[in-house]
Amino acid sequence: MVSVENVSKIFPAPFSFSGLFCPRSRDRCAAHALNGISFDVAGGESLAILGPNGAGKTTLLKIIATLVLPDSGSVTVAGLAAGSADRKIRSLIGFVSGDERSFYWRLTGRQNLEFFAALYGLSKQATRSRIEYLLDIFCVDYGDRRFDSYSSGMRRRFALMRALLHEPALMLLDEPTQNLDHASADMVRCLIRDRLALGNNTTVIFTTHNLQEAADSAQRFLILDKGRIAGTGTLDALRRQAGEPGADLDRIYLKLTETHVP
Amino acid sequence: MIRQILAFLKKDLLIESSYPLSFFFDIFSVLTSVVSYFFIDKLFGGRMAPQLEEFGVNYFSYVLLASAFFSYVGMGLGSFAGQLRQEQLQGTLEAVIAAPTRTAVFLFSMAAWNVLLATIKLLVFIIVGISCFRIDFSRANVFSCLAVLVLAVTSFSALGILSASFVLVTKRGNPLSWLISSAEGLLGGVYFPVTVLPAWLAFFSRLLPITYAIRAIQYACFRGSSITELLPQLVPLLIFAVVLLPVSVKVFSLALCRARANGTLAQF
Repeated sequence: MVSVENVSKIFPAPFSFSGLFCPRSRDRCAAHALNGISFDVAGGESLAILGPNGAGKTTLLKIIATLVLPDSGSVTVAGLAAGSADRKIRSLIGFVSGDERSFYWRLTGRQNLEFFAALYGLSKQATRSRIEYLLDIFCVDYGDRRFDSYSSGMRRRFALMRALLHEPALMLLDEPTQNLDHASADMVRCLIRDRLALGNNTTVIFTTHNLQEAADSAQRFLILDKGRIAGTGTLDALRRQAGEPGADLDRIYLKLTETHVP
Repeated sequence: MIRQILAFLKKDLLIESSYPLSFFFDIFSVLTSVVSYFFIDKLFGGRMAPQLEEFGVNYFSYVLLASAFFSYVGMGLGSFAGQLRQEQLQGTLEAVIAAPTRTAVFLFSMAAWNVLLATIKLLVFIIVGISCFRIDFSRANVFSCLAVLVLAVTSFSALGILSASFVLVTKRGNPLSWLISSAEGLLGGVYFPVTVLPAWLAFFSRLLPITYAIRAIQYACFRGSSITELLPQLVPLLIFAVVLLPVSVKVFSLALCRARANGTLAQF
């Protein structure tokens, strides 16, 4: 479903007058986000991308979502090459970003969903029934309240509902349970594990800092550290890579990312 | 495509109607401009200046039509960049770009609400001009007016899209918008006919689409000039439109690529 081949990304330094006269200072401020990343995800599979802050998780998701262009390497989604078939790829993807500002706050939640459904080409009738369905499964009875009256968790639910509007073949979720209360987070985990990934044959790639959540929801893992792959595969494969037979994901993660807990 | 444009229109209408005073003051500002022009004209005794003879109207009629028209076509210049900036600040730009929308559809959808609002303002200008100040539009050639409107809006939209390309990359500090809006007020014949300018400034005025558009709309409205008679103005406008529109959409696509390469779509 998704194939990432040798992808690298360096974000140039933001404009500054010192950078204008001193290329070295410009190079120093450039952010090396990803370096030679390659992996595949099969249809219907769920992959958790793990890593410390700044490891490149969000950049990787955005590159797959065609929102960021890689400097080198290639990405294909359902056989379509990013860069030449971006619109087709976007129609297959449901993307949940970590930014809760990505809605129109003067509109209601329902009006926001209707707007984005139109952008994804859903008919009026399909929009209506899909929104009702999603409001129902997400237990949302505040869809007609203005978006700026929602709590962070409520906004997060709407971000998930928006990503599911067009029944995407690939879900990209950037920390999907961030800001959710315990019950809502559990529901999202079930959604990833059962309803989306297995029930509908939807492929799910998600980032998280919650290792337990990753272990519960994902079939495979990709651990990033400083823009490079520190480990990838199933839990058993990670155990072999870390040389820690029988270890849990927490221990493997700490070993592979060389994170030292004080 | 129609559904997407309508979705943007509905969204902007809903957002705008959540600020009811803003719409009211927008329309009210039209009335204050009209009354200001009326008193400026009165100051000079309502006489027809020699430079206005070719249009056959006094200063008030000239400036009312020119500024109404400029605010209409100028919307093309401001709306793309303004709307794009608003999406950046709201944080919605990345979510909209993430949808499978064609760049051209996205661009024109963004401007749809502003076109509607500008049309309402234009109508207010004209209705107030006719009913309160007895401006004579009886000789207006409707087909010529429509031809000028279409070509002017297209040229200005192209400039607006070029301006939006700057916003996409630089966020704030849009040199094209500043250059064009400043130059057009001075050189475009909005507040006075370009014949009052010295020769060297008049040369620069010929490089701007607004110069041809203002002259053409004055001729079409006050002299009833036909499309054939307006060809000296319509041909340059057509060239501006045909050349600038595809170039501007291409430049916007390149700016979008640049923003994606720099990872700045979500930045403001």
